[in-house]
Formats: sequence, structure tokens, C-alpha cells
Amino acid sequence: MADYAHPEVLVSADWVEQQRDNPKVRIVESDEDVLLYDMGHVPGAVKIDWQGDLQDQLIRDYIDAEKFADICSRSGIANDTTVVFYGDKSNWWACYAFWAFKLFGHDDCRIMNGGRKLWIDQKRPLSKDTPSYPRTNYTVKGSDPSKIRIFRDEVLAHLKAGKKLIDVRSPGEYTGELLHMPDYPQEGSLRAGHIPGAKSVPWSRAVNEDGTFKSVDELKGIFEQETGLNSSDEVVAYCRIGERSSLTWFVLTYLLGYPRVRNYDGSWTEWGNLVGVPIARGSE
Amino acid sequence: MPPALDELVEELREADRQERIELLIDLANDLPPLPDRLSQYKDEAHRVPECQSPVFLFLERQGPHIHLFADVPPEAPTVRGFVCLLVRGLDGATVEDVLSVPNDLIQRTGMAEILGMQRTSGLSGVLQRLKAMVARTEAASTEQSQQK
Repeated sequence: MADYAHPEVLVSADWVEQQRDNPKVRIVESDEDVLLYDMGHVPGAVKIDWQGDLQDQLIRDYIDAEKFADICSRSGIANDTTVVFYGDKSNWWACYAFWAFKLFGHDDCRIMNGGRKLWIDQKRPLSKDTPSYPRTNYTVKGSDPSKIRIFRDEVLAHLKAGKKLIDVRSPGEYTGELLHMPDYPQEGSLRAGHIPGAKSVPWSRAVNEDGTFKSVDELKGIFEQETGLNSSDEVVAYCRIGERSSLTWFVLTYLLGYPRVRNYDGSWTEWGNLVGVPIARGSE
Repeated sequence: MPPALDELVEELREADRQERIELLIDLANDLPPLPDRLSQYKDEAHRVPECQSPVFLFLERQGPHIHLFADVPPEAPTVRGFVCLLVRGLDGATVEDVLSVPNDLIQRTGMAEILGMQRTSGLSGVLQRLKAMVARTEAASTEQSQQK
């Protein structure tokens, strides 16, 4: 992992096994599938649900600082805790939780490379016990969320300025063909297609079959040689609701070291329904 | 609703949050494996595109009765659990039975409480797809009998 721009944010399953009794380290499972944690998890890991815990159920936004502090306190996470996220589907939701923790300014966040799949494939121990830790008194320090999050008006300005956009959905979602086929109501958007100028780089291209991230050289091949990004670019990544794009945000920010990458979590479910904004179809 | 489906829905509805998770895990573990004769047809035509996970659904008709078969990866236990609910609850049902399954089935099980809106919409897609497939076999069999 040494070649990555910020190798310290990516930890191995071995590291997690060695550190799991360290009170300064808290392992967090965050999955797309809500049953997985109860079927067996990394011993000592707590569960934080990207939807039930981190999203406000009434406003389309994240929970407020008070609720976030409560989730951390009940999970035994203090302000100086090293929080290691892992999960299913090549760590999509682990990256999403990581990103949400960064919105609230938590310092030390990491991802377990390979996620839940690699842990199980390597036949490492699983536990069904739900651990409980002494309650902490977490205080949200706050940060500048606008460094990593972008809203629709700024996305419009970003595209008008000709800055870089990455669409990480599947090719069919990007070209817009999916919504045009019968029986495909999946998007919840009135228009299919992509944000004009966005380049298509499906999120899954950044990970290997075993769920680990690709090497720096492979990632540079995809994002720089093929897509034409470079580290001085301002980049916005989006998908359908902002979960898959948080993985791409993680890759660009921490593995390739791009300092100005933002996740548009309104993503296609917002953009495809907005009145008066342009969209594009087909492969650009 | 066929009694078998009704019973499963009722059991889930009456459970509390943790029991519901455990019932769904049991259902996920109970999904019968896809028979060999069908596994060669695991292609896009049998895939449920509304679902992020690779879900394959198969129907076989015996006269008026429908038999359901499905393949869902173990990594997606929620979808497996829900598909198993449909397979167990609707196996042997008639076309009318399947078409009259209420579209808010997931809400009736109380699953939506644990799943949230976004996850629920993927599962609704499975039910919609199943109904569409059943309706199509009915149309095909009517056509066949008219040709005879």
C-alpha cells in the first residue's frame, strides 16, 4: 500500500486483527445489506448503518451534529479514536460512512482493504456477539464540509466553468438507455442520462476481484491516461445517491492524492429531476 | 393472498426489530438452490434489473399453477430472504394469486422499517418483475390455446 498518496488511511485485515483489542481503535461495519452484520462480523466491530444511522429520515440530508455525537458516543468512539470502516460490495458503504465521518470532522478514519469479502475469503474469525463499549463523550469539532461535498447550484457552476466531472454509475445509466427500456423503473428520475461533460468511470473499475483497491499505477492508468484527470483538477464525482461516488472520492483523494475532489451526493436522483438543468445522453 | 404467503407475512409483521432480522436471516438461509436444469439459463433475460444484486428468477407452469425458482448470492441476504418469502409463499399458486399479491407487500411485513426507503424500492422491483413474468406466461398460454 506504500505507493498510495496517503497509505495510512488504508489498513490490511492483518492490521485489524492485531489492533482489534486496542481501545484507541474502533472497527465499524457499514453495509449495503442490513442483515450481514448480524450474520457474523469482525469480532469487536460495531455496526453503523449508512441509511438508518447516518441519514436524516425526514430531511434529505445527513443527521445533525448532536445525533452524530450520540452515534459515536454509544459506539465507544471518542474524538481521538482511530475508526476503521469495512463493509460489503467492495467497501462502497464503508467509504460512504468514512466520507460522512469526514463531513463532521472526525480526524482518524481508515478503510480496511478488501472489506468484508476478503475477511471472509481468508477465513478470518467472525462473531455474532454485539459488543458494547463504555460510552464516550464525543464532541463534534466541525469541519468545512464544502471541501468534500457539493450541492446542485455549485455543480451547475462547476459544469459551466468546464471543470471535471466523473460519473461512476454503470455505462447503461450513463448513456441514458436504462430508463428507456420497459420495466426499468429503478432510477426514480424523470430523465435518463448524465451531467454534460461528465466522463464515465464506473466505480468498480477502481477495485480488484477480491475487493481490494487497484495499485497506484493501475489507478493512474484509468483516471489519468484514459480519463485525462490530473491532481491539480477540481473534480466532482456523482452516482445515483452519492454512495458509489464516495468510493471514487476516496480513491482520488487518498490513494491518488488529489486535493480538490468533492462528492455530489444529490447525484442523479436529484439532477435527473431538476427543472431547468441540462443533461446529456449517449457516450460523449 | 395464498395462505402460505399470508402466514410468513404475518410472522414477520408481528416480530420486533431484532426478531425480524433473525427471521429474514433464516429465510435467506432457506432459499432452495436453483435446480440444475435451470442454472444454465442464468442470463440477462432472467435477471431482475431493478435490483443492485444479481437476482435471477424462473417460472415454470403446471397447468394453472406457478412454480418459482430463484438464485440470489449469499452476500445479499436481504434480497435472498425476500425472494425466499416469495418462493415459499407463492409456490404452487395460480396466476391470479400472484397477480393479486398486494404491491405494498414489503410494507406489510414491517421489513421497510429495517430497510429504509432506498433498499425497499429494490425489493419492490423483484415483486413487480415477478408479476410481469407471470402475466407474460399467461399471455403466452392464452395465445397458444387460441392457436390450437
